[in-house]
Amino acid sequence: MTTRLFAVGLSHRTAPVELRESVDFSRGGPGEALAALASRGICQEMVVLSTCNRAEIYAVAGPDGPDTIARFFADYHQLPLARLSDHLYVRRADDAARHLFRVAAGLDSLVVGEPQILGQVKAAYAASSDRGHTAAVTNRLFHTAFGVGKRVRRETGISEGAVSVSYAAIALARKIFGDLTGLNVLILGAGGMAKLTGIHLKAQQVRQITIASRTLAAAERLARELDGRAAPWGDLADALGAADIVITATGAVDPVLTRAGVQEVMRPRRQRPLFIIDIAVPRDVEASVGDLEQVFLYNIDDLQSIVKENLTRRSSELERAEAIVHEEVENFTTWLQSRDIIPTVVALRERFEAIRQAELARLEPKLAGLPPEARARVDEITKLLVQKLLLTPTEQLKSVRDDSLISTYSDALNRLFALEDEPPARGESARKARVSPLRRD
Amino acid sequence: MHLLPLILYACAAGAYLAHFAGRDRSVGRLATGLLGGAVLSHTFIIGMQTVQVGHAPLVGTTAAVSAFVWLLGLAYLYVELTTDERAMGVLVSALLALLYVIPALDPGVSPRPAVLQSPLFTLHVLAMLFAYASFALACVLGVTYVLLFKEIKAKHLGYFYARLPSLQVLDVMNGRVITIGWIFLTIGIAIGGIWASQVQSSPDPRAQAMSAADPKILVALVCWGVYSFALFARRAIGWTGRRAAWLSALGFVIVLLNFVPVGYFLTKSHNF
Repeated sequence: MTTRLFAVGLSHRTAPVELRESVDFSRGGPGEALAALASRGICQEMVVLSTCNRAEIYAVAGPDGPDTIARFFADYHQLPLARLSDHLYVRRADDAARHLFRVAAGLDSLVVGEPQILGQVKAAYAASSDRGHTAAVTNRLFHTAFGVGKRVRRETGISEGAVSVSYAAIALARKIFGDLTGLNVLILGAGGMAKLTGIHLKAQQVRQITIASRTLAAAERLARELDGRAAPWGDLADALGAADIVITATGAVDPVLTRAGVQEVMRPRRQRPLFIIDIAVPRDVEASVGDLEQVFLYNIDDLQSIVKENLTRRSSELERAEAIVHEEVENFTTWLQSRDIIPTVVALRERFEAIRQAELARLEPKLAGLPPEARARVDEITKLLVQKLLLTPTEQLKSVRDDSLISTYSDALNRLFALEDEPPARGESARKARVSPLRRD
Repeated sequence: MHLLPLILYACAAGAYLAHFAGRDRSVGRLATGLLGGAVLSHTFIIGMQTVQVGHAPLVGTTAAVSAFVWLLGLAYLYVELTTDERAMGVLVSALLALLYVIPALDPGVSPRPAVLQSPLFTLHVLAMLFAYASFALACVLGVTYVLLFKEIKAKHLGYFYARLPSLQVLDVMNGRVITIGWIFLTIGIAIGGIWASQVQSSPDPRAQAMSAADPKILVALVCWGVYSFALFARRAIGWTGRRAAWLSALGFVIVLLNFVPVGYFLTKSHNF
């Protein structure tokens, strides 16, 4: 009768990218994989988590669950099981919880501490929960995981500092200008790098993006894509004067921005800061431009070394994050184990309640003469009596951790109170505590 | 009793430092609570002194320092609660704790001489102290601006980068605080001038000494010059950012000099 929680899956740690691409549960929308798995009728509870770095199924099912789900991985994606089996991992009970908690906290991510995964875990849970595929165990498991994710991010520096060049640049711009929404951005160059940076900045809702390139047509093309404005190369000085952030990504061999040229535009700017990000190789901006007051010059190497420092700092926080995960796994495991005895506890309570009801019914003729308040009092007293009698045994049962002891106790109680003989009608509270029957959508 | 604010200011300074280093939100709240407690107990002491002597305790440099600490604490708490930004607290609370040593060592209240019994005197002192409190905040903003600026320029993003608001925010706040301070300084000096001309005939030798040649008044006028220039330079010639930050630090050093050494040892007109 033990609750079998487990996780089956593959991730960037166990499977190459080609395989991960072919194992994608999100392709047919969140409901399709869930419906397909549910139609097999093997899981009582299930959540399918599918991102570009992992595909995992968290489920509560019988003892052959892991094997059946592994087969489901293969069947659903029409792959031979042999191709998958080396890359699939199975985590059971507390290991499954530890795995999910680490995933939610970003500890299992390709970039440690990345923020997206927590949202993806929440979405996966919501998709399953909306369709009625979650119940007590997965509900508790995932809500704890959300808490772990938040706690790790709040209490450790695991998510601090930008870990990609574009985020590092945007974080820097924020530290200089505060709010980016009112800023003008000038992009020099119209190649792939220029476009990529432009897309990132556009997402920050800057006021205007201006693109200048030696070939106006290329600048105009990129300007259309980015909702920006193209400026002829000859108007570079004007565009520079109006800009707050300048991205240089031209293929020029000689510097495009010289110290003298930038100094010229700084005077009419009256010391308004200018943030220049030189992502071109070879450099587009003379290094001495960075010596000018209120000019902040960063090149691609500078940004990369910031990213590297941030990554080092993040990994130094790993130990603290793992300690939080460990603590939460302990708590969850305690709860999970205490659940195994719950059906017995519920049956015991129902049996006592049935006896109480039966006795009240038997005494009905004698009680009929009492005023309604006294009747209510009798009802209350008998209820309290049953509750008191059961309080200590219930607490004792719930504190049992050992699997074999749990089954010994269950057997003993079943036999002593003949719990299985004559199943009493289930009350509302008892039904809530039980695992909901598998829904077949 | 008079030591309680000092202890609380010092504890608040320690908590702000711990919050700055460890960035634990609960330590931050503790720091704010301690500072709030310090200002509250300080308010109580000022209230007691007012009851005791029958007028606001603003006579003499010690009382002025005490009132200055109280005003700066209130002004800072207001800024912190409205912006939810605690980074300035380290420097402000350290300054408060340090300056409060003076009233803590000398808890008595000076009696008010006849010559000061004018509402103009109270207005003058309050305007001047509020101006100085603003300049203290401007100085703290300036110092943090320079620290952050250096880190970003040096491309070594570390301690301050993770803890301070953006350069732009620091600069804009610096400009605003200096404007407010300058307005109060101007009002304070003007009221002081009017009052001084009214009491020229008084037999009090200190009233006789009220002239631009007195060190305290002279340095106050220099301050006014410095902050006027800071405002002019920001608007007319684009002295924002680092230059504005240095100017606000320089200005406050002059304010502090005028406050403590000049106020205690050099002035002949303001030694009440």
